[in-house]
Amino acid sequence: MEMIGHGGKEIVERVMPKDAAIKRLKELRAAKVKELDVRLQIATEVIDIAYGFFSPLEGFMTKADVEAVCNNMTLADGETVWSIPIVFDISEEELQKTGIKQYDEVLLTYQGNPLAIFDVTDIFTYDKKEMAMKVYGTTEDKHPGVKRTYQYKDKFLGGKITLLNPPKINPPFTEFWLTPRQMRERFKEKGWVRIVNHQTRNVPHTGHEWLCKGAWLQTYGELTIEKPIVGVLVNAIIGEKRVGDYIDEAIILTHDMLRKAGYFGEHNHMTTCTLWDMRYAGPKEAIFHAALRTNLGCTHHMFGRDHAGVGTYYGPYDAHHLLESVKHKLRITPTYSMNWLYCPHCGEITNEGICDHKKEWQKFSGTVVRSIIIDGVKPPRLIYRPEVFDVIMETAEKYGFGSAFVTEEYLKRRTPVFTIEPLE
Amino acid sequence: MAETYPINIWINEERFEKLQKAGLEGLTQEMLAGLKVLRVPTNEQQRDKILKLFPMAKYDSATTKSIELLPKAVKDQIFDMIVSKRTIDVIDDFIKSVEK
Repeated sequence: MEMIGHGGKEIVERVMPKDAAIKRLKELRAAKVKELDVRLQIATEVIDIAYGFFSPLEGFMTKADVEAVCNNMTLADGETVWSIPIVFDISEEELQKTGIKQYDEVLLTYQGNPLAIFDVTDIFTYDKKEMAMKVYGTTEDKHPGVKRTYQYKDKFLGGKITLLNPPKINPPFTEFWLTPRQMRERFKEKGWVRIVNHQTRNVPHTGHEWLCKGAWLQTYGELTIEKPIVGVLVNAIIGEKRVGDYIDEAIILTHDMLRKAGYFGEHNHMTTCTLWDMRYAGPKEAIFHAALRTNLGCTHHMFGRDHAGVGTYYGPYDAHHLLESVKHKLRITPTYSMNWLYCPHCGEITNEGICDHKKEWQKFSGTVVRSIIIDGVKPPRLIYRPEVFDVIMETAEKYGFGSAFVTEEYLKRRTPVFTIEPLE
Repeated sequence: MAETYPINIWINEERFEKLQKAGLEGLTQEMLAGLKVLRVPTNEQQRDKILKLFPMAKYDSATTKSIELLPKAVKDQIFDMIVSKRTIDVIDDFIKSVEK
């Protein structure tokens, strides 16, 4: 099965079969190769690279790639559009302690267990302020992406990754984490010829639901309707959490409930997750999402106002403008969405591009709906599906230590999304 | 009239009963598909003070132009002050009580 991903290249999978990995691990340890234990963000990105979520990347970026990303929004080949640096940072102290040098083969571990082989081909420095300015358009450290950039250690390692030890994805995420190859196989089984992606890190209110329904209709376009051949892929971003966010379990299970409760169906809706720490890079993150979802096998991608933005750093349509400028180089079609709202005159959820009862519009946002739930009030079913509300309450009890929103206790005591077990 | 930056207190049956007893039910508005809300006004200075005192709160500048995400206990406290004082002009007193 041909699996062409972002940049027109075959999906990269760099995962060693288990028997070969056990043998290779023994050889590496016998040869006393250098070992480095990595933090969660790096472990997550190792997994993403290895399974092709970031195709055509085969490893962490070299300086040439980072320069091209920052200066031209491409990889070092000058052709492939890429907007966010994927970097492996390391301190001078760690370099000295481990003795890692260019062209070394390094065994990466996570929480002490073997994870991957890292073929280090480049060791470099990069001006973090320049990186922040070029990627995020600001050097203010109150921007979460800039803050993350400034927190990088002072040196970077570039080179290919080979995964030795696949992650164990823990419930309730197990059934929702599919690799790009698995996702494409699932789409084929369903007979979908077009798939429109919905990017989310939210529990869905009816505005989100109708955003998906509208995008499904847009994507269907001129296709024949004798049998269902278009699907919505809800691809939840699961990553670093902040106090007050919805807990990951609530996000994934409520989206799936929209299908289970019949607001969508098996024939047109599927929920999955991708492991990634949002950078809130607005337009640049939109380009990254387009590449990521191309790799998942999507043909279309929803982009609303201020996609993946934060605060007032980006204009509401900046992401759309940037996407338009490189659309010819992408293998995914953007579907732009207007805001959905409640109109009491129409008595329904409608769209600001359709309804003209402007003075009567009742706009709502994820923030407002969160505020209602925090108040302990059940929102009306036209705003929030009762089945979704019930799942929120259940997940709060089962996974959130009594809260549907991230608390300090949740951050300390939650079951991790994935674990790396001993390789034996 | 000076611009206000309301705190939305969403009204369930329990809160509505308390408002009725205080004769304040007329202060609520229908905001979302029939859901009632009590909009407690704040001026710019009060808004900034509240956002500083409760950093988890957010001013929703894009959609509703209101202060959202205040913890329930905080909103309960504001609501109880409104009911006991029979007025929605309670924000100065509320801020003073928190700063104590």
